[in-house]
Amino acid sequence: MLTARFTAPAVPKTLVHRPELLRRLTAGVRGPLTLINGPAGSGKTVLTAHWAAAGRRAPRPPVWLTVEPDDAPGVFWAYVLEALHRGGVEIPAAVGRPTRAEGVTQSFLVRLAAGLAESAQPVVLVLDQFDTAQPPAMTEGLDFVLRHAAGGLRIVLTSRTDSLLPLHRYRAAGEIAEIRHADLRFTHADAEALLGEHRLDLSQDGIRLLVQRTEGWAAGVRLCALAMQRSPDPEAFVRQFAADRTTIADYLLGEVLDAQPPDTQDLLLRVCVTDRVHPDLADALTGRDDAARTLAGLARDNAFLEQVDASAWYRLHPLFAEVLRAHLRQRHPGLEQQLHGRAARWLAGTDRLTEAVFQGAAAGDWPFAAGQLVDALAIGRLFTGLEAEQLNRAFAPLPAEAEGAAPALVGAAARLVVQDLPGYEDAVRRADCHLGPGSGAAARLSRAFLGVLAGRATGDPAATERAAAEAERVLGELPAPLVAAHPEIRALVLAGLGAVRLGAGRLDGAHSALTAAVEACGEPGTRPGTEPGPAPDTISGTELAPLYPPLCDALGSLALTELMRGRLRQAAAHARACLAVAEQSALPPERRSGTGHVVLAGVALEQDDLPAARSHLDLATATAAAGPRPEPAVAVAAAVIGARIAAADGDGEAALAVLARPWPPGAAPAGAWATDELAVAASAAHLARGDAAAALRALDTAPSGRPEHALARARALMAAGRAEPAARELAALPADDGLTLPVRVGACLLRARIAAADGDTAEAHRRLAEAVELARPEEVRRPFAEGGPWVRRTLREAIRPVPALGSPAGRQPGSRTGSPAEGQAGSRTGSPAEGPPPVEALSARETDVLRQAARMFSTEEIAAELYVSANTVKTHLKSIYRKLGVTRRSDAVHRAQDLGLL
Amino acid sequence: MRYEFRISGVVPDTLAANFPELDRIPVREQTLLLGIVADEAHLYGLLTRFQSLGLRVLEMRQIPA
Repeated sequence: MLTARFTAPAVPKTLVHRPELLRRLTAGVRGPLTLINGPAGSGKTVLTAHWAAAGRRAPRPPVWLTVEPDDAPGVFWAYVLEALHRGGVEIPAAVGRPTRAEGVTQSFLVRLAAGLAESAQPVVLVLDQFDTAQPPAMTEGLDFVLRHAAGGLRIVLTSRTDSLLPLHRYRAAGEIAEIRHADLRFTHADAEALLGEHRLDLSQDGIRLLVQRTEGWAAGVRLCALAMQRSPDPEAFVRQFAADRTTIADYLLGEVLDAQPPDTQDLLLRVCVTDRVHPDLADALTGRDDAARTLAGLARDNAFLEQVDASAWYRLHPLFAEVLRAHLRQRHPGLEQQLHGRAARWLAGTDRLTEAVFQGAAAGDWPFAAGQLVDALAIGRLFTGLEAEQLNRAFAPLPAEAEGAAPALVGAAARLVVQDLPGYEDAVRRADCHLGPGSGAAARLSRAFLGVLAGRATGDPAATERAAAEAERVLGELPAPLVAAHPEIRALVLAGLGAVRLGAGRLDGAHSALTAAVEACGEPGTRPGTEPGPAPDTISGTELAPLYPPLCDALGSLALTELMRGRLRQAAAHARACLAVAEQSALPPERRSGTGHVVLAGVALEQDDLPAARSHLDLATATAAAGPRPEPAVAVAAAVIGARIAAADGDGEAALAVLARPWPPGAAPAGAWATDELAVAASAAHLARGDAAAALRALDTAPSGRPEHALARARALMAAGRAEPAARELAALPADDGLTLPVRVGACLLRARIAAADGDTAEAHRRLAEAVELARPEEVRRPFAEGGPWVRRTLREAIRPVPALGSPAGRQPGSRTGSPAEGQAGSRTGSPAEGPPPVEALSARETDVLRQAARMFSTEEIAAELYVSANTVKTHLKSIYRKLGVTRRSDAVHRAQDLGLL
Repeated sequence: MRYEFRISGVVPDTLAANFPELDRIPVREQTLLLGIVADEAHLYGLLTRFQSLGLRVLEMRQIPA
């Protein structure tokens, strides 16, 4: 049935040629926008279809899309892409595909416009029935693409109401052609021509009366012709019609309907409950077997029922369907619901699940509608996929007291979608009353599936583990093809389980669940991108749409897991994949979490690239502000990273402020690790302020056996001048493979420092070299900076005696970054032997500032020289002092000269 | 908010049944539909429903409750 939306409706056989209007339409598409406005039945679609049929032989025929009022923005754009695809328009794969019903991103629209701008010949897109019921965001998106496609796109819109496009701007620019109601009205000549097509011979007076009474309304003239054909005296019919004051549509439809044999009337009244009708479906609705013949007959003679492009399906003219429904309600009260129920069963029997669910819901037959969804394992589609919004809307009227397990399960799912946890609890309790070990596997799976999602929302690891284990078990009981048809169930379960384990600080468990979740979605970057052969009744790629959100979610959680395990490269790779999937699938901002950016900020921080860390964290904050409810682990990670960045800037107060900021409301409780993680960050912030006692107190508030905690305590003790207890803390750390890399590096550095304090310089240097070796593969640099000035100083002294760092053999030839201890500044001087390189390279801008400082310029003079503000110069200077391990401008200049940097 | 919609022609029972929230007063060659309109969403919804049934709105105004 979908095919129908991508093809122009067949042109009726009894057609009035309107060359003037066709010419205006052809002229219109030379510009970007053509509007055809008029009320229902004024002939907009017929005119446009007629014009499109004539253009079929053009080198690039117009592309057709029938828009429906329920189309959510994401669905609309998915259909636009499909229409373009079917019309042979090549759209680069990089444009991506919308996967959420609510909308698409601006960047998707930018890519689409760019893609269209590249097409050699402009694409003409007809959007039939593009009415104002569409969300404003959709119209804005359309306006954007149209304006930015650089002439590569022309749009023809037909609608009953003026669209929300900024028409005044198009008018002012002369970029719009409008065919409005007045233009569409049938003239005397048009009416005469149409009557002629129907082989009716009416007097000139009769025609005048007809045009007057219908006010040139095309559908009215057409219906009148039909009614007259069956009337013994057409002239009398017109006179009577002109004298009657009833609303035209109802009068004429009544006439046409009454003129039909009773069986046909009955059939029309019954089939109007569905948008499109198949002869078998019509038989199911009437309980007879004459639909095929009757429908074909009606379509042959008329205006209000048409065959859907060479398929077995028919559709009623929307106006006619609406009036028929009104008649149905009046003539057979209560029948409408029954008919929806019958349609639902026929649709279910022919594997049209979604439509069956909608009809079942319209029938108020909740056990059936919900049962269909549950039995087909489609409960996940309430959470993810292009149909999610429509399905949730269909189930919105589901009463809480609906009997049975399936309605309760669907009700619970609907509550969970809107994060109404108490509502969910109520519904799920009702479901549990009906469920037992003897219940169907699909119902038990749906229950376990909801348990996982709810467990995640409430941050309950035990419940989530139980539900996930149950889900996995029941999946094994179900037929494999059914399970394979709904990969999103497994993906959502595993992604949820992984996120909960991550929240509880169980990193290895999180890693295995999340890796499995990513696998369940198919390989990132391959599976969602690959296009299966286009099936006639599906939109290519939509079957994969439900997998994007869980894939994006799992990749984000996986990236954070790896970051916490100190695997920076993996973390960054997953984070980038997460962002790429979000982008490719045009996830709207409210569906994105800031996880990917938080992880990239974390990686940049560990690698001591503070500007990058700051910008990623800003992006994360911006994304999270628009995004869904925050994940506790992500919120904690973001706070800790923010605090460490502030501490790195030497602003301990700001760091503490970041940590003291309350969580966004609605965050589920985080595990004990989170409390400790925050305490560790707070202790580091206190150390940055030079307050070792406060650092120790911060740690005392959250006693923990985590190695991170022990290391932080050892650091604080050392800062307090208590080397011996610090050494004891370090000695108590587990063996190396039980520690994350940053902790191992940090511990190594601290051991070096303790050794140095003991006067054991050789041991200190050995430890330091070990730290550098450890840090090298993942480019961990931050602990060296956090180790304090001592590390930098000693590293400079130690650097020569350690062959791995000083000799060229220690550096990968051609590698961008050698050891973390080397900077570009060091390499720039040619050979490291010329002098101990600083721990960190100066940026080009910092070098510029330093060069000016060497000329004895004041801060203001440097600012003027470099066209920046004095504050920026101060920031650069601060950074230079830190990198060079000095506190004064003159020292910095001397040191830089010593190093050959100037 | 109480509204009055002036519709062109006589609105028959069948169609009027679609608007149980509105009272119907036939006047010469026209029909007045009056009733309480909950909010703007309801108002625009009504206009769309009139349109989808082919009813032409000649005039609409808010009237004292």
